[in-house]
Amino acid sequence: RRCLISVDMNQLEESFQEIKRAIQTKDTFQNITILSTVETLQSIKPVDVCCVTKNLLEFYMRRVFKDHQELKPQILRRISSIANSFLYMQKTLKQCQEQRGCQCSEEATNATRIVHDNYDQLGIPSAAIKSLGELNIFIAWIEKNHQATSV
Amino acid sequence: MKNVLHWNPPESLRGAEVTYTVQYFIYGQKKWLNKADCKNISRTYCDLSDETADYEHQYYAKVKAMWKTNCSKWIETGRFYPFLETRIGPPEVALTTDEKSISIVLTAPDKWKTNPEDCTISMQQIYSNLKYNVSVYNIKSKRTWSQCVTNHTLVLSWLEPNTLYCVQVESFVPGLPRPAQPSQKQCVRTLEDPTSALK
Amino acid sequence: DGVAALPAPQNLSVHSTNMKHLLTWSPVVLPKETVYYSVEYQGEYESLYTSDIWIPSKWCLCTEGPECDVTDDITATVPYSLRVRAILGSQTSAWSILEQPFNRNSTILTPPMIEVSQDGFHLVIELEDLGPQFQFLVAYWRREPDTKEHAKIVRRGGIPVHLETMEPGAPYCVKAQALVNAIGRNSAFSQTKCVEVQGEALPL
Repeated sequence: RRCLISVDMNQLEESFQEIKRAIQTKDTFQNITILSTVETLQSIKPVDVCCVTKNLLEFYMRRVFKDHQELKPQILRRISSIANSFLYMQKTLKQCQEQRGCQCSEEATNATRIVHDNYDQLGIPSAAIKSLGELNIFIAWIEKNHQATSV
Repeated sequence: MKNVLHWNPPESLRGAEVTYTVQYFIYGQKKWLNKADCKNISRTYCDLSDETADYEHQYYAKVKAMWKTNCSKWIETGRFYPFLETRIGPPEVALTTDEKSISIVLTAPDKWKTNPEDCTISMQQIYSNLKYNVSVYNIKSKRTWSQCVTNHTLVLSWLEPNTLYCVQVESFVPGLPRPAQPSQKQCVRTLEDPTSALK
Repeated sequence: DGVAALPAPQNLSVHSTNMKHLLTWSPVVLPKETVYYSVEYQGEYESLYTSDIWIPSKWCLCTEGPECDVTDDITATVPYSLRVRAILGSQTSAWSILEQPFNRNSTILTPPMIEVSQDGFHLVIELEDLGPQFQFLVAYWRREPDTKEHAKIVRRGGIPVHLETMEPGAPYCVKAQALVNAIGRNSAFSQTKCVEVQGEALPL
């Protein structure tokens, strides 16, 4: 059974929409993706959802949000809102994962490694910018896999 | 998921014979692709629904203008993500009445397809938690009330006989805020109450 | 340089009701001077991962009143640190930091105001519009012996919502409580309000 997260998806999406144009415009590598939705995330099996979500939250919190240096206050505010929402998700997921387990199969580990490899290949700051621009892919993933309303 | 690129003609060339050419790009792929039937066109829109049919991918589009021997630079859209950014159309709404009730049958909107021969995909298959907000307006009492429903049939019972009611329905997906579009307002009159005719 | 240091604001505290969060402090009073204030915040993420970063509050970059609406700054259910300093011309005071970080899950949730009405045989409720974070649990029942209570989730306030088709002969009663999923809490129930439909009993 899935771990549900009661996070304000409207707030998350609204925060992303506020930074989308500014961030995605700075991403000039249109032929490269970090999360590469179709090849990586879509092929994840239900049993691996928990592990991939946990790993992607960690990826954003420990790498992306830290590596991105933002000067504009209104964008900084929105990134902070998303980062703190992810932190809250991580906490609520942890409780659920401890009860139900959250094993990482080889495929899930590979999927996460692909994301980190893509990130390393592109290098900071471009990789951080691109990953921020792909937050909508991860937000859609969270909505699809961890929202009570998506039952 | 009907995804149409629109643009405005160049300000300085209003009325001139300008033609346009469109290309599109699948985010993460390698190169820009031509849209065959949007090459040297004079209209200011281009239907890219087929090219953006895979709603899990993200896309860019760009257009340039040509006039005589002059050529403008490309103007590019932002990144477009159909799964999150498409507008959810209204359901089909069928109403039948009797004296004191209105039966409402809703049919989920279909995913847009350019070729009628293609198989039909319901938006319900894409958004499994698609719901409907049914608004009912009683013309006589001037009262409006709404109801959120998941299934496709709803019977409004114990209405007032011989009264005009207007119904409007909006599809929505709980969770992420997606732009929605209400259906056309449909008004029907409940039938006369035969017993009242005898009194 | 002989200029007395501008005192820092004191007694910072947050008052939060229905997910509206107001930071207040004691004003710095200087005769014939207007003192301004600047507010910054840090979510738990910043304090854990980028502790040198403080974010300017959306509405209180340079504000006069000894208060600041930080609702648009506190947008996740984690502890937030808040700090304020006084500004007078080119002088700025030291930062005063809120003693205990604030978490919005401590907000006070008040029972929602409800309007219960009928349109013919139809029971209709309209709830107070408390903002996008709020949903409502509406309980309704027919007031008669051994009655059964029904419940319905209403996704937002401010619009009339159909509850039930009523049968004459007994009043129908309604009460509601506010739900905030983002903090996993709900308010107490509102007052109960009842309406009764007149007319002949419905044929079986």
